[in-house]
Amino acid sequence: MSIPQSATPVIPTGKPKMREMARKEERSFYLFILPWIIGFLLFDAGAILASFGISFTNWSALSAPSWTGTLNYTKLAADPLFYKAMGNSLYYGIGSVGLGTIVSFLLALLLNQNVWGITLFRTIFYLPSVVSGIAVAILWIMILHQDFGLVNSFLAFFGIKGPGWLVQPEWAMPSLILMSLWSAGGSMVIYLAGLQSVPTHLYEAAEIDGANTFQKFWTVTVPMMSPVILYNLIVGFIASIQGFVLVYVMTNGGPANATLVYGLYIYRTAFINFQMGYASALAWILLVVIIIITAVQFTVARYWVYYEGDLKQ
Amino acid sequence: MGKHEEELAREMRRRGMSRRDVIRIGLQLGLGAASMGMLLAACGQTASTDAEKPAEEPAAEPASESIFDANAGNTGAWPSSAVADPSEKVEISVGHTWDAVFFERQLQFDKLFMERHPNIVVKAENTPWGEFRQKYTAAAAGNALPDLLYTQFSWAQETIRSGMYIALDDWIAKEKDFNLDDFTKPSMVSYQYDGKLWGIPYDEGPGNLYYNKDIFDAAGEAYPDDSWDLEKLKAVAIKLTSGEGPNKIFGLGELPSPGDSLMAPNYLFPFGAQYLSEPKEDQCLINNPEAVTAMEWWEELRAKGAVPSPADLQNVAWPAFQFGKIAMTLQGSWATPPIQAGSKFNWDIAKWPKGPKAHTTFSAGSAYMITRDSKHVEAAWIYLNEYLSTAGQTYMWASTGRGSPSRLSAWPAYIGSKFAPAGAKNVEEAMSQGIGTHDIIDQPTGPRVTQAAGPIWDLVVAGQKSVKDALAEVFAAVDPIVAENRG
Repeated sequence: MSIPQSATPVIPTGKPKMREMARKEERSFYLFILPWIIGFLLFDAGAILASFGISFTNWSALSAPSWTGTLNYTKLAADPLFYKAMGNSLYYGIGSVGLGTIVSFLLALLLNQNVWGITLFRTIFYLPSVVSGIAVAILWIMILHQDFGLVNSFLAFFGIKGPGWLVQPEWAMPSLILMSLWSAGGSMVIYLAGLQSVPTHLYEAAEIDGANTFQKFWTVTVPMMSPVILYNLIVGFIASIQGFVLVYVMTNGGPANATLVYGLYIYRTAFINFQMGYASALAWILLVVIIIITAVQFTVARYWVYYEGDLKQ
Repeated sequence: MGKHEEELAREMRRRGMSRRDVIRIGLQLGLGAASMGMLLAACGQTASTDAEKPAEEPAAEPASESIFDANAGNTGAWPSSAVADPSEKVEISVGHTWDAVFFERQLQFDKLFMERHPNIVVKAENTPWGEFRQKYTAAAAGNALPDLLYTQFSWAQETIRSGMYIALDDWIAKEKDFNLDDFTKPSMVSYQYDGKLWGIPYDEGPGNLYYNKDIFDAAGEAYPDDSWDLEKLKAVAIKLTSGEGPNKIFGLGELPSPGDSLMAPNYLFPFGAQYLSEPKEDQCLINNPEAVTAMEWWEELRAKGAVPSPADLQNVAWPAFQFGKIAMTLQGSWATPPIQAGSKFNWDIAKWPKGPKAHTTFSAGSAYMITRDSKHVEAAWIYLNEYLSTAGQTYMWASTGRGSPSRLSAWPAYIGSKFAPAGAKNVEEAMSQGIGTHDIIDQPTGPRVTQAAGPIWDLVVAGQKSVKDALAEVFAAVDPIVAENRG
């Protein structure tokens, strides 16, 4: 069969095809994010904008708001509970994310072995993170109970008298941080997925170069996992600093405000004291703090996060 | 589910226990996950039945779980309102915050009411105490309040002044047999503003001394009576404290905390001390020497281990007295139904003992209001008029032993109720003899006062701060807040 040939050969530039592919990808992109965008516009955007407006008013929710300008924001500077709550949230965020990152990463390394029954182990470690928050809180109240709790019973086995974990001011926040490890399985799964995508040829090359186990971990695993670590740090910190449910159920901010986290302070200001304007101002300040911390995390990430295929300018 | 678990589940349902209570008790009993799951399921069935029970179909849902007979306490002497029943079916919603035991009684009342008024359908909304204000404040912001709403003394003035309710004077004036003089004077204090009455109280009662007779009998101690003073209370509380760990018996259920709006009448006034200047609440007086001395006197009970620590009370349902490990406790008469349903020991109540300078106890109560968002004000008034009439209070609060009705005419039925404790007369006497006082923290600044003071006092409870230093800090934190009430 002869193939018809034109007199002058056409040199395919590929550009129209590329443009068509790009348009198709763009369409897919918008289609995929559309459900979220619609949900956000319908259910969140209005409330977020309204809270910004409310933050400039004095409003009890029971009667009409009155305009106070920036008074709520200037009031923050003289509010000792604002600093206390922010400090507690940062303490909890750094403690729980720091400890959680180490524990979940180590767990992922452990569960990345090719041994019999590994799927069962992975399921067991992941399971706690899908249990509802309230149930977990009540369970941990019992585990940490001063007189009958498992933790103090275990310590008593070694002759150590355990503290009142949730009722002594100096132990309450460390207890909550310790408890946050309960949900390490969520991050562990992400680390596990990351570990399984590290190319084996990198380990083989390292072995040929004479690297031992630790050197392979430090020079191959950690750099290749650094984008995943960054992701977990950012998402985990944002979630921790907004923490509310567990603290509300377990300690309600006590004792002596030792666990008064920022989310709980916003809640109390809004729904116990009914100072909606001030509560909105507190919420917007939290947003600003989160943006700043996230920006710092991204900036510092340039120095320790490795993206394969990333083109350095 | 094994026989024992079935029995336990049945008992838990009878006591109106929540899932949280079930988890706590299950863990204490060392139940396995399977048994616990079944108990939770059993408890959940009851909870959903209560929550989802359609008020418009009460006949299809007999209150079989109630400890009260549906017809007991129904005197039949219901007032006839000057307001005519609606000619077509209307639905009114009522926001309550009852414990599980008493909500069953509410449903019984509503059923009887709807039988008398076939064109008024009553939809009862029961919201847990801890969520009540949040829920209905949000509803107020959205102009979606129910027709009638429960209101406690502590937030009554704030919500009245914000315009959440309608004044009731004109409605009361229409009713020939609505006798305002029948209401005890303290019961009306919190619901008046601007020369008008905005709510009708259903109860106002004193703090009473509940005591576990079995613990007293075991120790050979005589029960509390009118001869008791606070020195005697303290001595007996220390004497009755015994045991260790889960078997420990505590002499007294609680100690005063500046984080409690009801504290002053029971713990400070008897010693000639005050927390805030009553009734204006515009000065903090808690660091005066007599207040410091009084609070130090009470704290000696903690040092003796005679009161439960915060750890002992972790996750324990209110009132902790019902679990049988506390010899004496201070509670309003409204604690009676859960104690009646939950306790497995003999108990009674006495008057709160007198102090060296005065004989006082707190008196507090609650009311129902018609909200500004009510779409059927006439029907709401007919309901309110009957609900809080002598017959209504007899049915709801007197015959059930819950007590402290706001109407004097309902008190005899309370004292004669088989559900009331034998010492119910002490409740009435505490009110009629002027022992009960409404000088409690009830100004709109109240929540901020108790929130500021409570965490400071936590350090006293933890043994990390002296009473004197803590009270100085409480004064520094609270006085600027109550300064808003000056002028």
